[in-house]
Amino acid sequence: MVGGLVRAGREIGPGQGPVTGADLLPVLPALADLLPHGAFRRGSVVATDGWSLLPLALAAGPAASGAWCAAIGVPEFGVAAAADAGLDLERLLLIPDPGGNWPQVVASLLDGCDLVLLRPPGRLPAQARRKLEATVRRHAAVLLVAGDWDGAQARLRVTAREWLGIGAGHGRLRACRVQVAADGRGDWSRARSRWLWLPGPDGSVSVADGVAPGADRPEPGWLEASAG
Amino acid sequence: MTRQAQRGQRVLVVRCPAWPPGDAPDRAAGPGPAARPAGQAGSAGTAGQAVPDARAFEQVIDAAERFSPRIEVLRPGICAFGARGPARYFGGEDELGRLVAEAVTRLGFDCGVGIADGMFAALLASRDGLASVLIVPPGGTAAYLAPRAVTVLGEPELADLLARLGIRTLGEFAALPASEVANRFGPPGVLGHRLARGLDPRPPAARPPEADLTARIEFDPPLDRAEQVVFAAKALAGQLHDRLSAAGLTCVRIRVEVARSDGSEITRLWRHDGLLSDLAVAERVRWQLDGWPGAGDRGGDPVDDGGGTGGVVALRLIPDQLVHAQGRQLGLWGDAAISDRVARAAIRVQAMLGHDAVRQPVLVGGRSPAEQGLLVPFGEVARPARPAGRPWPGRIPAPAPSTVYPVPRQAMVTDQAGALVTVTGRGLVSADPARLSVDGGRPLAVTAWTGPWPVTERWWDPEHACRKARFQLVAADGSAWLAVVSDGRWLIEASYD
Repeated sequence: MVGGLVRAGREIGPGQGPVTGADLLPVLPALADLLPHGAFRRGSVVATDGWSLLPLALAAGPAASGAWCAAIGVPEFGVAAAADAGLDLERLLLIPDPGGNWPQVVASLLDGCDLVLLRPPGRLPAQARRKLEATVRRHAAVLLVAGDWDGAQARLRVTAREWLGIGAGHGRLRACRVQVAADGRGDWSRARSRWLWLPGPDGSVSVADGVAPGADRPEPGWLEASAG
Repeated sequence: MTRQAQRGQRVLVVRCPAWPPGDAPDRAAGPGPAARPAGQAGSAGTAGQAVPDARAFEQVIDAAERFSPRIEVLRPGICAFGARGPARYFGGEDELGRLVAEAVTRLGFDCGVGIADGMFAALLASRDGLASVLIVPPGGTAAYLAPRAVTVLGEPELADLLARLGIRTLGEFAALPASEVANRFGPPGVLGHRLARGLDPRPPAARPPEADLTARIEFDPPLDRAEQVVFAAKALAGQLHDRLSAAGLTCVRIRVEVARSDGSEITRLWRHDGLLSDLAVAERVRWQLDGWPGAGDRGGDPVDDGGGTGGVVALRLIPDQLVHAQGRQLGLWGDAAISDRVARAAIRVQAMLGHDAVRQPVLVGGRSPAEQGLLVPFGEVARPARPAGRPWPGRIPAPAPSTVYPVPRQAMVTDQAGALVTVTGRGLVSADPARLSVDGGRPLAVTAWTGPWPVTERWWDPEHACRKARFQLVAADGSAWLAVVSDGRWLIEASYD
């Protein structure tokens, strides 16, 4: 009886009812401002615009807080970049090629991992997609999709990007200033946007607010120090 | 099961003093070389003047092999085998010991034979029983060892320390509580303490007869329900574990082969490490059957529930990578604590896609981004040949790219005039890169670039030597790339987005 009630409560899903700490999966501090409650809501599906450092950085926070993470369908996963961004490699499973029955692979891993990072190898029919979303809610996990997902509660996109430290034939890639925008349904209906160092000079992710994009801006100290 | 087998282990050691402990360490012999008897049996070629060739000891092994098929050679001069079975066959340990000693003496070598619970006591007994047979009765090991000096442990530092603490005999050492010994003396102390108490740190293990250890079963008529196969698998796993533990062995992995009547066969390797129970092996067989796609080929239709694809005709369990049973309980999944939930999910996916499909990344040293990430199949322990955290001259500087292509992508980098950009032998760029096209796609304007960073790898090895130059390129859409040019061919190795 009680079990049934708890189960029913779980099935309500994100966007409804009060949020407690147990419902949340923390992200890196630099990314917290982009998300309602400053964290992932368990049971939700969040999408990004394709594979990049952004989904990798989003996965770093949960892994750092002790959650297990699985990355499915990303054979080109940058291991060094993940480590630099703060992703704990000891809590990461990689399934580079999930094969034709990939929804089953995703469902199996949702059972074991708190966060599943998926680049869908193909498009799912709506029914199979909803079944997978129900699995996400049942296991109170988070499905982070690097690509299109019709049922996603939210979508994070890189809207502007600027590499620093590199010129025409001199310097090198040192850091990237990136504008990330987030919007979606429910909790996410208020659109948010932040400037981030993604990555910063040491590969980590930090907030780049206070530095307006454009030609006349003060260069960060580390750029001047390393010039020439 | 293994532990019990170890407890009841009777070991027979044959020691021929003609081969003194040389380079090979002989723990039980202690610091001094074993005394050479004056009355060496004067036989051709081996009479007292010189140490016989290590190969000559083969004769002794041959002689011993008449008593047991599994002989473990500790070093030339000392070999051992499990005495329980042979003793029963040859009419008791006294008789066995006498026969062995006789057989070796007949070859012209003096020998001592010792039989005891475990290798350490048997080694000492073989020394005491020189030119005779000494048998330490079952359970009498601790009493036999008690009056001996701690130096026989063959740990001079430990013995020195113990002597200064007033502990001079093994009996006194054995009386200390094990936990205190572990705290105070560390691993060598724990090992020595186990020996002093008459426990065996390792059972004798011999050249493993590998083919014999496979456990197999045929089904006629074929079984069409997974339950039946799993039930048979449990019994089969029991057989395999019995055989392994009887041989004092364990396996790192176990290979499960299932054959069906339609001729298809599915093979999976599972991590075992001696830690799986019969039931756990059977469970893995079940996962393997569950993960069998109907078409017999991965990536086909969803799992068929067993109808119409033919029954199971044979099941084979093959131990892979046999090792000596250490009785150690290592973390099954390496150092990180992996919860059962994660392990079960990962193993389930391995059952669906294969052992290599689920991987854990490890950072290793290397120049290019592709060399820096090693992907280890889940459940295996990584032993990187190039550890991370060491300097790698010529390493691509941080930040690291988020996307590292397993197979580099084709690219074209051209200058303003549309000509391919090349790098001369002296490391000069033919012209500034102006356009970049990846995989034959629409050319993008290059807004910033740097390079060339020349790389000459393995110049000492003409076959693998390569000369190339790397560039970092930023395109007009904000994308940043790591490109490499070699022999006028451009490849994209990684992307920084």
